Amino acid sequence: MLSTVVTDVVGVLSSASSLFIVAAGLTLVFGAMRLINIAHGSFYMYGAFFATTLGAWSLHAGFWVALIASPVLAGLMGCGVEVLVLRRLYAREHLTQLLATFALLLIFADLALRFWGKGVRGMSAPSVVQGHFRLAGAPVPYYDLVIIGAALLVGSGLWLLLAHTSLGWMIRAVVDDVEVLAVSGVNVRLLYTGVFALGALLAGLSGVIIAPQQAVEPGMDAQIIVAAFIVAVIGGLGSITGAAIGALIIGIVQTLGAVWAPSWASTFIYLLMIVVLAVRPWGLLGSPER
Amino acid sequence: MNAPRKFVKRRRVIAIAAATAILGGTASACSSSASGGSAGSGGGSVTVGMSTSLSGSIAYLGQTGLQGVQLALADLNAKGGLLGKQVKLVSADDDIKPATGAANVRQMISSDHAVAIFGPVASSIASAEEPVAAQFKVPIFFHTSNDISLMTKTFTPYAFQNVPNTIMEPRAIADYLSKQIGSKQITIGIFAPDYSYGHDTVDGFLKALTDLHVDYKVVNQQFPALGATDISSNLSALINSHPDYVFNAQYGGDLVAFTKQAEQLGLFKDTKVISFYNWGVLRALKDQAPAGAIGYSRDAFWAIKAPGLDTFVANYQKKFNDYPSDWAILAYAAVQEWADGVTKARSFDADKVIKALPGATVSTIVGPMTIRACDHQAEVPEYIGTVSSTGEAQYGGAHLWDEPVFVAPFQDIALTCDQVKAMQP
Repeated sequence: MLSTVVTDVVGVLSSASSLFIVAAGLTLVFGAMRLINIAHGSFYMYGAFFATTLGAWSLHAGFWVALIASPVLAGLMGCGVEVLVLRRLYAREHLTQLLATFALLLIFADLALRFWGKGVRGMSAPSVVQGHFRLAGAPVPYYDLVIIGAALLVGSGLWLLLAHTSLGWMIRAVVDDVEVLAVSGVNVRLLYTGVFALGALLAGLSGVIIAPQQAVEPGMDAQIIVAAFIVAVIGGLGSITGAAIGALIIGIVQTLGAVWAPSWASTFIYLLMIVVLAVRPWGLLGSPER
Repeated sequence: MNAPRKFVKRRRVIAIAAATAILGGTASACSSSASGGSAGSGGGSVTVGMSTSLSGSIAYLGQTGLQGVQLALADLNAKGGLLGKQVKLVSADDDIKPATGAANVRQMISSDHAVAIFGPVASSIASAEEPVAAQFKVPIFFHTSNDISLMTKTFTPYAFQNVPNTIMEPRAIADYLSKQIGSKQITIGIFAPDYSYGHDTVDGFLKALTDLHVDYKVVNQQFPALGATDISSNLSALINSHPDYVFNAQYGGDLVAFTKQAEQLGLFKDTKVISFYNWGVLRALKDQAPAGAIGYSRDAFWAIKAPGLDTFVANYQKKFNDYPSDWAILAYAAVQEWADGVTKARSFDADKVIKALPGATVSTIVGPMTIRACDHQAEVPEYIGTVSSTGEAQYGGAHLWDEPVFVAPFQDIALTCDQVKAMQP
């Protein structure tokens, strides 16, 4: 009995953690730029694809190299996208921006097929975190702890950045007072590029983190963006804490739903989103429009 | 510098618009598009068509199948074509939708004048295409979709199947298992995707075990959703039941994810897992492949000795930078089957081709293949082996199967003609 609880708690935490890292990037970008970036899923998928390619070079050091290099590469992709495409669209309607990022998702998916093909790819976890230990009789994979740890690091890192640095203050201010920020000498353009790249980097990071546990394959971009978007909407778009709560809720529904009612698990998630949108359109921790 | 931005301060609108785009849009991201030559049977060429799944979760199956057909036609054309004509291919994506598949096939036959159709990945789509082919009197060759009903309940004389069907595949595994364990009692855990294929395969497997008088007890059954990423609870329930064997009907990406996570939990230590450990999965798993697990495959190219197979594998590798999947091999063989029928009939005429093939033995890259007259099912075996503990550098470090490989012969695993006829219309 206790072992079942342990298994479920670890399952919930690890799936919530990987969701949180993706959703945090999505919600960060929305918070600062009011942009729903559907191409976020592409950065996630590319992070995982980069990781499998880097991982294949060296069986043991591969993961660690990938852990650093893939998010950076995804961040650079984000830079490119912001500078080349999105920067030209800020004056346009939100729908135009949304469609542009949707187009980017399709383009990146097509490019990925050319580079990496349609097959399933994989990479190994480093040997120090392979295997499991027992807690109250339940096997707990070491790698689940890596995922949970990564989410805690990302969460606290973002909190420090946003709440305790002047850069964080600018990121929070840019939405409401872009003109004031600009006249006080802040390079708003660079700020946008930076925030967008950071969002992409987080997506890339979660791509690497899940690679040793999941199948890395085409289509994971669209799959994750749906999940990450639901997490962000339930938590409140723009709120990092909201993303954490949203990830936890979805993690619970996914993990327990998988056992109790597998074919209904995804329906529950959509239903939940609809209910939240109906009762609190701004999400659990978001703020209503003024 | 400035950043002029007009905010439509309506987050709800944004959210709903995004939801529409995300949830509705990505599902049908790629629309079907025909490519390749468009000439019909006039002039110096004829056209054949292939509609399959080139996007979405089963794209690897569709894509490699298409590559098998492409290579087969290239080889055929290099030898001077068929009856002196070059064979061109039109292909299209069915978006994993039966209606799209059927529409593609209709289009290929009526506009491109395709004289033969090579089938899709999913059986649901195959069953939508089968009556279209019959209606237009064009032969259709199923090489990936393997539902038994295609050759029984909905059988038409224009349909052919060269893949081990949904009766044969689970029976082959049961056959292998019964030979392994003899009269010993075993416990079995079940893990399968929660849709018709998963449930049918599991039912077929358990029924076959019963028919073979295997003394088994199912101790746990888990049916996670297709494509589910979070299977930790299913896995722990499975592991806690301590089965001797696990029969896992997943394939592709789901099986890769299952294996990685089950490995972390130590499932493979005391339990023998039986699953679709074929080329695509073993290639993805590399050194994470579970040594000692039992794999099955419709065509394990590394284990089959047949004249011409080595050349095919080398050519395929050169052209597509990958080794051939089960689906590529059987798609190639399906083209050989059709070409043999045309050669025997000395005509592309469908009614002559479908009379030439039944009962004939076709030589293919996986050896001679007899087309059974009663249901147009090719008499092919299923291959079963044990996942090796050593990687092979030649295959990118993939752990393939140890020798010897068990070959389940067609006669042992297929329904008899009498049984099949009773199910046909």
